[in-house]
Amino acid sequence: MKRSIFYLLLLTINIFSCEEQYLPSIPETTPQYVVEGYVEAGDSNQPVIVILTKSIPYLSKVSAEVLTNSFVKGAKVSVNDQQNVVQLTEVCLNDLSDDQRKMALELIGLEGDSIGYNICVYVDIFNQVKREIGRSYDLKIDVNGEILSSTTTIPSQVPLYNLIWEEPPGAPNDTLAQLKVHIDDPGDEANFYRYFTSSNGGALIAPFSSVTDDVFFNGQSFEFPLSKAESRDGDFDPDTFGLFMRGDSVTVKWCTIDKAHFDFWNTRDNAANNNGPFSSYTRIASNIQGGQGIWGGYAVNLYHFIVPPK
Amino acid sequence: MVIRQVFIILVVLISNISWSQSKYTVSGYVKDARSGETLIGANVFVKSETESGASTNTYGFYSISLPEGDYELICSYLGYQEKQISLNLHQNQTLNIEMTEGVIIDEVVISADKEEKRKNVESTQMGTIELPVENIKLLPAIFGEVDLLKAIQLLPGVLSSGEGNAGFYVRGGGPDQNLVLLDEALVYNAGHMLGFFSVFNSDAIKNTTLIKGSMPANYGGRLSSVLDIQMKDGNDKKYAVEGGIGLVSSRLTVQGPVKQNKSSFILSGRRTYILDLAQPALKGSSFEGTNYYFYDLNTKWNYVFSNKNRIFFSGYFGRDVLTFRQPTRDFSFDLPYGNKTATLRWNHLFNDKHFMNLSAVYNDYRFEFSGGQDEYNFKLFSGVKDWNIKADLEYYHGQKHTLKYGANITHHTLTPNTASAVIGDVKFNSKFKPKYALEGAAYVLDDIKFSKNFSFNVGARLSSFSQIGPYKSKLNQDTFGTFQFVKTYFTLEPRISANWKLDINNSIKFGVAKTAQYLHLVSNSSSTLPADLWVPSTEIVKPQLGIQYAIGYFKNFHHDKYEASFEVYYKDLWNQIDYADNYVNDISKEVEDAFVYGKGRAYGAEVFLKKNSGKLNGWFGYTVSRSERSFEAIEGGRWYPAIYDRTHDLSLVANYKPFKKWDFGVVFIYGTGKLFTPVHGFFIVEQQINLYYGPRNSARLDDYHRMDISATFTPRAKNTKRYKGSWTFSVYNVYNRKNPFFVQFNVDTNKETGESQVSGSKITIFPMIPSITYNFKWNQQ
Repeated sequence: MKRSIFYLLLLTINIFSCEEQYLPSIPETTPQYVVEGYVEAGDSNQPVIVILTKSIPYLSKVSAEVLTNSFVKGAKVSVNDQQNVVQLTEVCLNDLSDDQRKMALELIGLEGDSIGYNICVYVDIFNQVKREIGRSYDLKIDVNGEILSSTTTIPSQVPLYNLIWEEPPGAPNDTLAQLKVHIDDPGDEANFYRYFTSSNGGALIAPFSSVTDDVFFNGQSFEFPLSKAESRDGDFDPDTFGLFMRGDSVTVKWCTIDKAHFDFWNTRDNAANNNGPFSSYTRIASNIQGGQGIWGGYAVNLYHFIVPPK
Repeated sequence: MVIRQVFIILVVLISNISWSQSKYTVSGYVKDARSGETLIGANVFVKSETESGASTNTYGFYSISLPEGDYELICSYLGYQEKQISLNLHQNQTLNIEMTEGVIIDEVVISADKEEKRKNVESTQMGTIELPVENIKLLPAIFGEVDLLKAIQLLPGVLSSGEGNAGFYVRGGGPDQNLVLLDEALVYNAGHMLGFFSVFNSDAIKNTTLIKGSMPANYGGRLSSVLDIQMKDGNDKKYAVEGGIGLVSSRLTVQGPVKQNKSSFILSGRRTYILDLAQPALKGSSFEGTNYYFYDLNTKWNYVFSNKNRIFFSGYFGRDVLTFRQPTRDFSFDLPYGNKTATLRWNHLFNDKHFMNLSAVYNDYRFEFSGGQDEYNFKLFSGVKDWNIKADLEYYHGQKHTLKYGANITHHTLTPNTASAVIGDVKFNSKFKPKYALEGAAYVLDDIKFSKNFSFNVGARLSSFSQIGPYKSKLNQDTFGTFQFVKTYFTLEPRISANWKLDINNSIKFGVAKTAQYLHLVSNSSSTLPADLWVPSTEIVKPQLGIQYAIGYFKNFHHDKYEASFEVYYKDLWNQIDYADNYVNDISKEVEDAFVYGKGRAYGAEVFLKKNSGKLNGWFGYTVSRSERSFEAIEGGRWYPAIYDRTHDLSLVANYKPFKKWDFGVVFIYGTGKLFTPVHGFFIVEQQINLYYGPRNSARLDDYHRMDISATFTPRAKNTKRYKGSWTFSVYNVYNRKNPFFVQFNVDTNKETGESQVSGSKITIFPMIPSITYNFKWNQQ
């Protein structure tokens, strides 16, 4: 809604407006610890992984060096799955062999050649954390005596079914297809969803608006179009946006998440998408005590297919 | 308890004045001789003693009681020739006075009459300013569009909500805290095109009054200010047509008698056409069929049955219409929104001293959005609908008391975002039901001339607000039927203002006013948008309350050529509403569930210097102020400057008429930069850069300043022909100052090096903009 109003404004005043660089005077601030950690169950083999970084001050250039330096090493990271407390192991890409490196990058969801900097993560390398639906997980991080903590859960899976490919609406098109899926939303509880797509073996990426709750469709069974996730770095093309290329091999990762996990991505997506004269800022709702970021559980459903030619 | 005290004070004050059996009353209406239009705020007084006089009310009615005798009555009004009438007062008498517009002589442009100028020192009102439309029309205007709301932003204590925007903040209050009335109908959204234009077509407007200080007890329902606008009644003697052709829009107004001297009508319309003109360029593009325009229609009709009974019907209808089309993707949406108001009024005189206005008002603000692609359709609707009945009575008791009392009741229907979607055969509906409420108020006030040097305006307003059914409680799941009371709030709002006249040219005034507000518009945007929702006080949302204290020194000098004032104020605000920092606008949720509550305070000083007459006239206004808020849920209750806070605000307005055919206008504005919440740093999650922000409103944009100029050329200024035309040339932002409209933070990635950087950019929307408008008038001879 806000976007359409914004376009209206742009349409009418664009001829007059101008843009200039702006360097506000902003006080020095102390960096904050940022957690990005996931625990997955369902169609997932991914072990528990936690990335611990420090925030980067405004006006810094994000170079390979800055990124490499942003990783926090030497922290004690442990996960309690309500049966065992598992200490995660720190792994840095530069310490690995080429094969291990490739495997590790796949785990994080990155393509190998695109990384020009050293990534350090904390991983449950022996897959000791019991990853299953319905379980909750406590995260505790000790960085030089400073404690960060969080809790997440992996809710029940809600699968997609009847995945079909259709002609996109509008002018006839031979090369693009629209994905349609069905879902039966459980009526007895609030459900939160997030999804990712990838094409031709590329990394799984989340769409611009990657999460939804079921307030609008609680307990209903229905069909809806699932848009292809577009890279934020790419150029926006209104004629192909959200559509899959025919002949592509496609993966859809469909997940259920808990409320706090939803709030993080919901505020994150909103903060990233809303920029303009009428949007105020959105502070990202973190579930990390003592820092920024997310400790999130995913109940994963994975679907692979090749988009059929017309 | 407080009611009793106020009542006792009133009784004591009234009984202080003895009844005199030998007094008679002269009363009637003051009108324009040519159009029959009643004149609001005209002064009628006895020549020898200026204290024995009165001003006409909103309907042009006056009433003066004097001892039996012969008098010379004088009637005067801004821009009109003073009129002197001999009066033999030996019985109660009706005297309707017709005034002729001032002849433009070389020396005088638009000059306030002597009595008019004396109001600055004499009246009990403070923080009250009347702006005649004719003065506003001489000011430079962006795109040549004369705008009443932008003119009031040039007054001290009133701030613009943004560059080129018609929204305004008064003395540190929010945009929803202004009571905007058009012929007594509440206007819920006074802006077109995201607020860049106001809904008020200046050709249809007669009078505008802004009250930013001590709100008298006959007004209520908002915390900060009153903007009371009256539409013209229509010429009841002759037909007249006026209009204007501008770059953005055109206007046309027709008025005339339905029955000579008894009944008249006025019909006024305005429509924009910028994007209509662009339609050929869009043809064949991906967005063929996309358009935007807005229009307004004002109409009024009145009938005079007798000197004692008159009825008026007035209506306003305005719409903004956006249609978006993308045929290549079969995607489209329509976004119409706007106000509708209708007012039916009956003016009745019980006797020469007792005047009543009874009004029935309907208003309706709706915002709609409907869009779709293929078999997917989405609709959204929100709005406010009111039915209001109100009675306002005035009793002129002797020369020393004007008693006003009245009551009103309003039924509100507030529809939150009601969304529905259709996907093929499946329908989805949001579960929100409209909320219903009854708002009532009763008030009494007395404007008392206690002695030659001391006068008061004292009053009280008892307001109530009840949430009514049908409704299901969120607190205890109780169900309420239609008109069943869910929750009721009462507020007693005492109001007092006083004038202590030091001498003929100097006075000190003070005022205290408590106010309550039961409907709220909460926006998480930096500006109000048509999609922002009005929400009522409910079992969960409490009424906003405020109290304002003000004191001021008022002075006239140089034989009343100049008037000046210095006012200071302090305000406390309670139950202020906002959204938390991590609020996400989501139409599937009720906004009231995301509200956080806090308190506010505002204080400041205002200087106003005005030159009323001469070839050069105009004013200078300066405000230094602070407005702060504190919410437990926002940074633990830290007091932070509200988005409405601007430390310094200065405006200079001048009109100059060196020759008969030329009028020149200049406006200069300076203001401290607008607040915003700065980015302090960023972090990376999912390989994406995410921004994190510093404390709320802890940074400011560059200071704002701008100068506009205008020149109006009237080729045959003295011509008495039926048709008269004039050209207005204006330049907005004449020295092309790049005032930042907002700051935007982007992540720029260098694709070759892979390096990224967060950069801020400031966006300026209005550079120097020249414009030209042709205005015309035709009058039946």
